Amino acid sequence: MAALPAEGADGAGGDVGARVADGAADAVRRAPAGPSMPIAQLAVVDPSQPIVLDRVSRWYGNVVAVNDISFSLGAGITGLLGPNGAGKSTLLHLLAGLLRPSAGRVLIGGRPAWREPSIYREIGLVPEREAVHAFLTGRAFVELAARLQGLADPVAAAARTIATVDMAGAADRAVGTYSKGMRQRIKIAAALVHEPPILLLDEPFNGMDPRQRLHMMDLLRSMATRGRTILFSSHILEEVERLADGILVIYAGRLAAAGDFREIRRLMTDRPHTFRVRSSDDRRLASAFMAEPAVFGSELRDERLTVRVSEFSGFTRIVARVARDAGVRLFEVAPTDDSLESVFEYLVTRRAGGRR
Amino acid sequence: MSAGRRDERRPAQLNLVDVMVTIGAVTARGLLGRRRTILIGLFAAAPVLLGLLIRLGGTRPGALSPSLEGLIVSSVLPLVALVFGTAALGSELDDGTAVHILTKPIPRWAIVVPKLAVAGSLTALLVFPATILTGLLIGGTGARQIGLTFAFAIAVLIGSFVYGAIFVALSAATSRGLVIGLAYSLLWEGLLSGALKGTQLFSVREYVKGMASTLAPQGSVTSVVGSFGFLLALIAIVVVSLIAAMRLSRYEIRAAE
Repeated sequence: MAALPAEGADGAGGDVGARVADGAADAVRRAPAGPSMPIAQLAVVDPSQPIVLDRVSRWYGNVVAVNDISFSLGAGITGLLGPNGAGKSTLLHLLAGLLRPSAGRVLIGGRPAWREPSIYREIGLVPEREAVHAFLTGRAFVELAARLQGLADPVAAAARTIATVDMAGAADRAVGTYSKGMRQRIKIAAALVHEPPILLLDEPFNGMDPRQRLHMMDLLRSMATRGRTILFSSHILEEVERLADGILVIYAGRLAAAGDFREIRRLMTDRPHTFRVRSSDDRRLASAFMAEPAVFGSELRDERLTVRVSEFSGFTRIVARVARDAGVRLFEVAPTDDSLESVFEYLVTRRAGGRR
Repeated sequence: MSAGRRDERRPAQLNLVDVMVTIGAVTARGLLGRRRTILIGLFAAAPVLLGLLIRLGGTRPGALSPSLEGLIVSSVLPLVALVFGTAALGSELDDGTAVHILTKPIPRWAIVVPKLAVAGSLTALLVFPATILTGLLIGGTGARQIGLTFAFAIAVLIGSFVYGAIFVALSAATSRGLVIGLAYSLLWEGLLSGALKGTQLFSVREYVKGMASTLAPQGSVTSVVGSFGFLLALIAIVVVSLIAAMRLSRYEIRAAE
């Protein structure tokens, strides 16, 4: 069984925010097909961390949105990566006490998140939906949050947070006139106004232009260095790679991988790949590939050559040499299954016991 | 982090009165800024216009009480309350803006109370003057008629808060508050409670009539519940508010993931 990408799998993973207990990882690994599989071990998580999920599931009728997920998070930035519909929002809503877990425990600062409004002193939530009371000015919206948090000086607190997200210039306009990126920033200001130790952000970079994105990443980083626990969701690999210390990969409601980004990046690129190749002589190239240990098989059908290889980088190193040695000119080498979707699927099935 | 900053963000002892005033103000602004509010204002003006037409036509129908019952108590009052009551909480839950209010360290009843108060107040603000104008136009300015008109107006004022509470609770309990609320006002309040004697103890329309009959000159309004209408209205407000607060504290976001 391949090494788990959990904590400590990589030597440089010491400052990783995401931590999956070995037991939890085991549970995920041993439960391949469906919820009916017995889970051999209880997940062990560190209950002293600010965010704790202990074997949490959430289902809607027969649909399982979150499936037996355990992890605990401490200070630092953790990226929650997964395709749309993977259960990211459900997970964040569970953490924010806006959904009742169907099974398991969600703890914020040691207290159950469900039906416990006092957790909102410690949480700032930036929901994915843009909806903000459109008739309020940005400033009034942030001051509303400050008042409902019971801050001693809501006006000053709001002004400071608005400056932090670089919205001072537009703060006195109605939110209804804002662009997507501006709404996103004013929502972040409202979530930050009480300086919560935990910040949950659902797809926070949606609609931001590159400059705003960089600014927001700097802001989140500086908050993380001051000891905050930050969890943000994204379906974009590069966002997570640039910002997160630790990463949780979620696919089809399951925790597919957790830990250090580089480890997961390696897993993603070193998985078996299929390439489509066009060349001056596909037939000769196909037989030349067969002699290579990195190639599982090559197939010529309908004048199209597809090559199955054991790992991405190994193949890309040899393909040019093989073609040259065979005296064949390459026109195109394209991976056929490089969608993020297939990457996630691979990670899940790999953890489910290498069924591929 | 400077000392001043700490102080400014100090988690002060939460003043729930301030919180409720803040939520109420935002709710009221949201409701008043909607186009639907103008439409519902026109709707509330309809009985007044009708009274005006009757006046201009020169006829004066003798029976003021059935007119006010039909025009105000069983149509304008529940429908105006339905629009404000479901919009006060339901539309915020639907469009997602409620999340910004819900994710604050305040008990959920402190969110429900200002919503109820605003929904009831706005309903009363429209229906109370509509009742008085309609009553004066149809009934004229005889002492008995004025007494009857004001009796209905005060009963309708209290009824606004009962209906407001019911519709706020409905939208906390279900995502189809408007539809279910409409069905409730038409079927339960409109048809059943008129036809079946036993259901009258659970009909807001009956409470309003009871309160009006208590306040009005002797014998001008017939009611089953009579002066118990006040007590029943009060009980209804309290019970329904409690249900609304309980439902909101178990509120689960209606995610479309």
